[in-house]
Amino acid sequence: MKGLVYALVAVVVVLALFRRVRARRQPHPPSLLGAVARTLGGRRLLGDTGLVAAREVHERLRGRFFRVITLILLAVVAAAIVIPTLHSSSRPVVRVGVVGTLSTSQRATVAAALAHARIGGLVTAEQDTADARAALHSHRVTVVIEEGRTLLVETAASASGSTTAMAAARAIATALGLQNAFRAAGVSTSQAAAIARARPLPIRSAAARPSGAARGTSVIGLVFIFILLTQYLTWTLVGVMEEKTSRVVEVLLATVRPVQLLGGKVLGIGLVALLQAGLVVAFALVLADAVGSDLLKGTAPTVVAASLLWLVLAYAFYAWVFAAAGSMAERQDQAQSMSLPLSVPIILGYVLALVNAGPGPASLFMKVLAYLPPTAPFGMPLLVAKGEVTWWEFLVAVTLSIGSTVAVARFAAIVYERAVLRTGHRIRLREVLVQQR
Amino acid sequence: MEGSLELTGLSRRFGSLVALDELSFTVARGRVTGFLGPNGAGKTTAMRAIFGLTELDGGCVRWNGAAVGPADRRRFGYMPEERGLYPGMLVGDQVRYLGRLHGLSDHDASAAAAHWLERLDVADRLSSKVESLSHGNQQRVQLAAALVHDPELLVLDEPMAGLDPTGVDAIGEVLTAQARAGRCVLFSSHQLDLVEDLCEVVVIIDHGRVVASGEVGELERGGAPRLAVRVEGDRDGTWARELPGVEVSEVKGGAVRLVLHPGADSDAVLDAARRAGRVLEFAFARRRLSEVFREAVRG
Repeated sequence: MKGLVYALVAVVVVLALFRRVRARRQPHPPSLLGAVARTLGGRRLLGDTGLVAAREVHERLRGRFFRVITLILLAVVAAAIVIPTLHSSSRPVVRVGVVGTLSTSQRATVAAALAHARIGGLVTAEQDTADARAALHSHRVTVVIEEGRTLLVETAASASGSTTAMAAARAIATALGLQNAFRAAGVSTSQAAAIARARPLPIRSAAARPSGAARGTSVIGLVFIFILLTQYLTWTLVGVMEEKTSRVVEVLLATVRPVQLLGGKVLGIGLVALLQAGLVVAFALVLADAVGSDLLKGTAPTVVAASLLWLVLAYAFYAWVFAAAGSMAERQDQAQSMSLPLSVPIILGYVLALVNAGPGPASLFMKVLAYLPPTAPFGMPLLVAKGEVTWWEFLVAVTLSIGSTVAVARFAAIVYERAVLRTGHRIRLREVLVQQR
Repeated sequence: MEGSLELTGLSRRFGSLVALDELSFTVARGRVTGFLGPNGAGKTTAMRAIFGLTELDGGCVRWNGAAVGPADRRRFGYMPEERGLYPGMLVGDQVRYLGRLHGLSDHDASAAAAHWLERLDVADRLSSKVESLSHGNQQRVQLAAALVHDPELLVLDEPMAGLDPTGVDAIGEVLTAQARAGRCVLFSSHQLDLVEDLCEVVVIIDHGRVVASGEVGELERGGAPRLAVRVEGDRDGTWARELPGVEVSEVKGGAVRLVLHPGADSDAVLDAARRAGRVLEFAFARRRLSEVFREAVRG
């Protein structure tokens, strides 16, 4: 319940922030967006590329779509984190009947024993043993303590079973028995309490196997990389196409170089993607901590960091390609038909990573894909979650991705420069490569 | 040449189509230069070449005597034929953004955007999306975007297309004021009456070549003599079509404009007009720009 309250409060805060930003947007840019624009647009920092990027950030954050998709993502994250904890925190409750009297220390011992067994307890007084038996028969109580010396349950044969009633009975019997033994041995109450807090030593694996939580986190990470990647790549493609079809690109290219315009768009949309991903992750961290979720424990934070890094690398790799494709299209249907083949490696990497996300080791094919730049954004976070990659192997994949991104960006810039000013029909790649603009 | 734009020998082919064929002309400072030509003559390609938006097969664009570079283009203003604005962006943001791309500071771009939107009567749409504006108001915003950085050269491709008379007047006043302030102004249009009123100089091109250019007054004084004749009840000037050496140039509102080629006799024209009906008007007239255009394009 506490988690649900946290989630609701967080959503309300985010909504309030969005409303505040929207209310202050005109006639001057909102302070947050203005700050972003000033930072990026400062000619000393990034020049015209920064100005173009700042416009992208400003316009995307101003749009309703960004707010809606962010709220949906936050809601999904909140559900993924809070619902499992709600399930695990719904502890069973037993009613404990007491015949005779229980001392204060005995009551405390019973309460502690039940809490340790993750069972809630309600203690009720019974007049005598007959009443207590009747209460057991009618299931009004689950366990009866007679004079602090004996325990009664409805079915003694189930003493070795795993029902809540027997778990409660075993916990109470053990605790009261120990308390009686300590008292007989002259152990003081405080000493008895210290002994009762004894815990077995932790046992750790030398192989440092990943936790189930890390795997769960990696699956959520894969889904988010896929959603954010497809969303922002679509923005890039459609954004370039719209600049072309509205002919605003003519006005822009009269002043800035094509590579600056292309770079600014990729950078701006990428920053928005990073901002949204960062917001979601920060929200997840705070919420998970607040509700005591297991999803971000153990090696899971490493998986989160790896997923974020690969989201950035994936966007950087694909954004250039989608922007170049957008410069060759003039209509929405053309853009869609061009984006489909470009999305194949993304879908392939995503689906195969999900298939391999189970408890067993990743397949050899998946391991190979984890090093190829088009599919590495899904493969590598999975291998990290499974503990099947060393730091230097991870570094090799990152280096390969960055190197490929540089090559892809150069090629995309050539295509963009030659295609974006050609209008009247859909441009073919061959046409772009053999002709001047 | 100080303060002028020179296009020298521009050539551009698109496959077998010759868009520009050794095109050369100069746009002088302080004057509004009209850029005329039939559809497909190469006007838009020439204007795009000024901004490096099309590769050239040959020739050079010069500003103040030197080849035009990116720094020069930052001081130019451009309004393309098919309007170039972000449909979903707010008007104020849009003009300010383009000002910043031309090198203005955030503060200066905001002030200049407010000034030009006010001057062009669209200040009340500062916070509207461009797509919500009428065609005429979008034209005004586009012009504000071209002017926001106080450019030394204005290149406008069909800036008055589709505008009502109020819009034409508003944009015409701004262009004239820019020229009076010492700027170079080059604009293309198919509205020849408008060009006649607005421009001191015109350049007429056809098939990528200049076919006529010069001051509007000089061009109008040139060519064969012509008569403006109005005959009561006549609507199409049929009476003049068979006269030797006489060509019907225009028929508009019952008035006939006749070109007198060598051998034509104005007295014979007057006699023919009288035979057709009561003569309401008979006078020698200057060439109109529309006639200059037609004669130049026809060769």
